[in-house]
Amino acid sequence: MSHDPSVWVTALLTLAIFSFLWRENPVFRFAEHLLVGVSAGYYVVQYFYSGIVKKLIVPVRQDPGTNWPLIFGGALGILMFARLFRRLSWAARYPVAFYVSSAAGYFIPSVLEANVLKQIGGTVTAPGTAMAAGTLPVVSSALLVLGVIAVLVYFFFSVEHRGPVGSLSRVGILYLMVGFGASFGYTVMGRITLLLGRFQFLLGDWLGLI
Amino acid sequence: MAGEKQGTLLSRLTTVDRRVIYLLMTLVVAWPMFKLVTLPVLISKEVAGFDREIEALTAGDHVIFAFDYEPDVMAELDPMSRAVMDRLFEKDVEVVALTLYPGGAGIAQPVLESAAREHNKVYGEDYVFLGYNPDWSGTMLRLGESIKATYPADQFGRDTRTMPILADCDSYKDVKLLVSICGSQLTEYWAALAGGRYGQKIVSGNTAVQAVFIYPFYQSGQIKGFLGGLKGAAEYETAIERPAFGVRGMGSQTMGHLLILLFVVIGNLGYLAARRAGTGGSGGVTGGGGRA
Repeated sequence: MSHDPSVWVTALLTLAIFSFLWRENPVFRFAEHLLVGVSAGYYVVQYFYSGIVKKLIVPVRQDPGTNWPLIFGGALGILMFARLFRRLSWAARYPVAFYVSSAAGYFIPSVLEANVLKQIGGTVTAPGTAMAAGTLPVVSSALLVLGVIAVLVYFFFSVEHRGPVGSLSRVGILYLMVGFGASFGYTVMGRITLLLGRFQFLLGDWLGLI
Repeated sequence: MAGEKQGTLLSRLTTVDRRVIYLLMTLVVAWPMFKLVTLPVLISKEVAGFDREIEALTAGDHVIFAFDYEPDVMAELDPMSRAVMDRLFEKDVEVVALTLYPGGAGIAQPVLESAAREHNKVYGEDYVFLGYNPDWSGTMLRLGESIKATYPADQFGRDTRTMPILADCDSYKDVKLLVSICGSQLTEYWAALAGGRYGQKIVSGNTAVQAVFIYPFYQSGQIKGFLGGLKGAAEYETAIERPAFGVRGMGSQTMGHLLILLFVVIGNLGYLAARRAGTGGSGGVTGGGGRA
């Protein structure tokens, strides 16, 4: 059994959270509120230190000649607080406008390329690459292409889903079901791992049984 | 008569108290930990791709290692971080570690320190921890221009301009591989911003929930390999012949999955039995107002 007080605190808080599995109780609520409070405090300190101190105050103090443009960024950030005052709330639109426009500028082309263009490319070139690799990869890539088309047809609502379109759309549903099933299986694995991590801690680090 | 009894029994199984299910789950997940049940682990092509990229690195190469996760998913991702860090130090690769999550700082430090101690690595020469930087998207983009300008100081406030490890490494063009161990969508953004814009080669380790979304990036070649959940960690530990938490956890995983499959089958049989008996069923394992 561990002699480290921090291990004991962690173990008792873990058990307090697990107690919810039996029923809602004050011990669980205490642990839950403690988590929220500690997390909020931790994040405020981290954001203030990493964002304001390290990125604004220190660089401007160290080399004001080079880093003076950071003051404009800081001033824009302060304008966000104008929202708290009714007469000045309009000023908060400027930092939001700056942030939205700059983020849209660098996200739209990059995300479009990564999430759409390259993935279309991957689907189209897959059969060609697979043919060189053997029979099984050819079947696999044919299924991939069929799946992409079938699911796209399923989400195409401008034509009534009857006849060949309806059949293809039903194939699309099958692909979606397989996708949801795989996703559910992965989720179960993830949740069991989290449980496993806690057991490893309770039975190993705390009680020393394993 | 016997059929009716069977129907009643099956339909009663759909209203088992949820606490019984929790207890059973506890037992089947904990039991293999005592019995040390080990199962054969086969290496998938995604993990083989990950391993291939790591093995292609040579001594002195620089790697950016992003600890993009927080304590909530530590159980899934820490085994990956530990295994990969161990292998990188074993190969004398120079590691530039960072995190894009505020909670990542407390996670990265023990992993780095324990691997560095094991392999006698010197901070600032063989590895550096740059810490947390706010604005993840801006950080991903700026690292392509200058690592030292993005992180003028490391996690502990030391000047990065004087660090030997960063003397000949200041942007993606000096970095051979980017490893993103990630509990969210950030891997996809590394692929879009660092991979798409700067051509940075990327491999990743992701939570099981996230792994499903990484397949299209792997299939289109934007991610060269990835580890999905604890299974991915177990496969990588097997690939580098360093069995640890991932491999040990596979017994509990299998038992847990089998129990859930059993519940799904019983729940559905009970539902069908109740429907046949004309009572409508309880709605399966999620129904029954707090009862499963």
